[in-house]
Amino acid sequence: MRKHAPHSSDTIAGIREQDLQRHERFEDELIMHLERDQFVAETSRPVPRVALGARTAAGLWALRVFVVLVSLMVLYTFIQQLH
Amino acid sequence: MSTTEHAAVSPLLGAPPLTREDTARSFDRSRVHHARRHDKRWRLLWLLVGPGILAMLGENDGPSMIAYASDGAQYGLGFFVPFIPVLFAMAFVCQEMCMRVGAVTHRGYGELILQRYGKAWGWFGAGDLTLTNLVTLVAEFVSIRVGLAYFHLGSGVAVALGMTLVVFTLGGGRYWRWERIVLGMALFNGLFLLAAILVKPHVGAVASSFDFLPFPHGSFNTLLLLLASTIGATVTPWMIFFQQSASADKGMTPRDVKHGRYDTAAGAVLAAIFGVGALIAGAALLAHNGSGIQGFAGAGFPEALRHVAGGAAGTVFALGLVEAGAVAILTISASTAYAAGECVGASHSFNTSPRNAAVFYAANVGVALLAAMVILVPGAPLLSIALNANVLATVLLPVSLVFMVMLANDKGLMGAWANRRSTNVIGIAVIAFVGLCGAAYGIDSFLQTIHLVG
Repeated sequence: MRKHAPHSSDTIAGIREQDLQRHERFEDELIMHLERDQFVAETSRPVPRVALGARTAAGLWALRVFVVLVSLMVLYTFIQQLH
Repeated sequence: MSTTEHAAVSPLLGAPPLTREDTARSFDRSRVHHARRHDKRWRLLWLLVGPGILAMLGENDGPSMIAYASDGAQYGLGFFVPFIPVLFAMAFVCQEMCMRVGAVTHRGYGELILQRYGKAWGWFGAGDLTLTNLVTLVAEFVSIRVGLAYFHLGSGVAVALGMTLVVFTLGGGRYWRWERIVLGMALFNGLFLLAAILVKPHVGAVASSFDFLPFPHGSFNTLLLLLASTIGATVTPWMIFFQQSASADKGMTPRDVKHGRYDTAAGAVLAAIFGVGALIAGAALLAHNGSGIQGFAGAGFPEALRHVAGGAAGTVFALGLVEAGAVAILTISASTAYAAGECVGASHSFNTSPRNAAVFYAANVGVALLAAMVILVPGAPLLSIALNANVLATVLLPVSLVFMVMLANDKGLMGAWANRRSTNVIGIAVIAFVGLCGAAYGIDSFLQTIHLVG
């Protein structure tokens, strides 16, 4: 049976250092495949808000109210059909 | 792959802190880069397909396939055979915008609306989504139950199957794993094409139906219901939330937009083919005075098909309903989870562990569980819910589409990737058509219910 030479503390430290460097190199290579604005740290920052024009806002509110009203009509019809 | 749960300082100079989500996504991106660098075209396509096919085949869900089959059983092939592909062409226009915005901004639909246009609009959108998703999820469990009833299995099995799939696919904490499992399941939507072949349709009749004739007969309200439910079977709010968020979660970039278009187009073509398959299978019941509708309410649509076209057709259709419901439960739950995470500002990615994205995972399982509980309630109006799910989605869709077009036109976000004029013209036409059909049906039905019109 082959006997292994005992590792000195310097050898173990050297292996750990190599592992760490390999791990860091691996992570560096991975990071390079992401665009900068893809990182979670970047996407967590909110995009700046835009001010809607008066006409656009009015149009959106009108559409929203209309859609809610029609949805209520559909729900009312649905409930009546159940009876 | 080594990953860290918490943010760690990247060894690269100036790079942002690295999270587990970043590491998982960059690993997926490294494969894309490798395929692109070595000009492996099919490998690149394989790596980049997913969100588009899932959105389109996810929308070929239980209520949609029943709606197509009911159209066939009541009106035959004319009008609907060409109408379904037209609707999926409309869906392609909307979904391509979602994919493009997701790939360019790396953000989901919910968070962009919330941040760009204010909290009120963001929460309105999330509210619409939650309502339609909950109703639709109930309909998906009904679909599984109808399919399993053919094999003499009850609602308890339907709930167990649906919930097991949700929990199983969430395991692993990787977007790639989730996407590939659901993609594999979604391809079984082709069972509806097999059902169409098994009913032995007259090929000449199918080919000659592309002239949109005969136009469906019946009352104005019936026609509007048909249009609204068929539109709701092809374009819905959850698809918008899902594809944009999934494209961002997958790590797509502007360089991948071309493949994103292939993905979305492939999904639209497959969904149209399988949808027409369900229509053709349902049309086998036409000669029996549309017994599919009554059959669905009673013994079940697959059972009605078995009597008319044989046991194999009934079995395949029943399995198709189980598959359609199961895949839709997974994609619709995911869209709810994305929206919940985005709106409360919490982590929202399949690449994050449940511990670090509690809201995302809780919403994913919670919304499915809530819908599952409804179908266990004795005497719940399941059939009515299933048939009205698509109509409600159609009514609420225009607002989501308007914001989608606004985001896709936002030069500050999209830059050179903003909509072209032609895309805007088609997009606005789609919104007008969907809005008109949904509103006309809602108003006409309401007026009839309160006896203001006959």
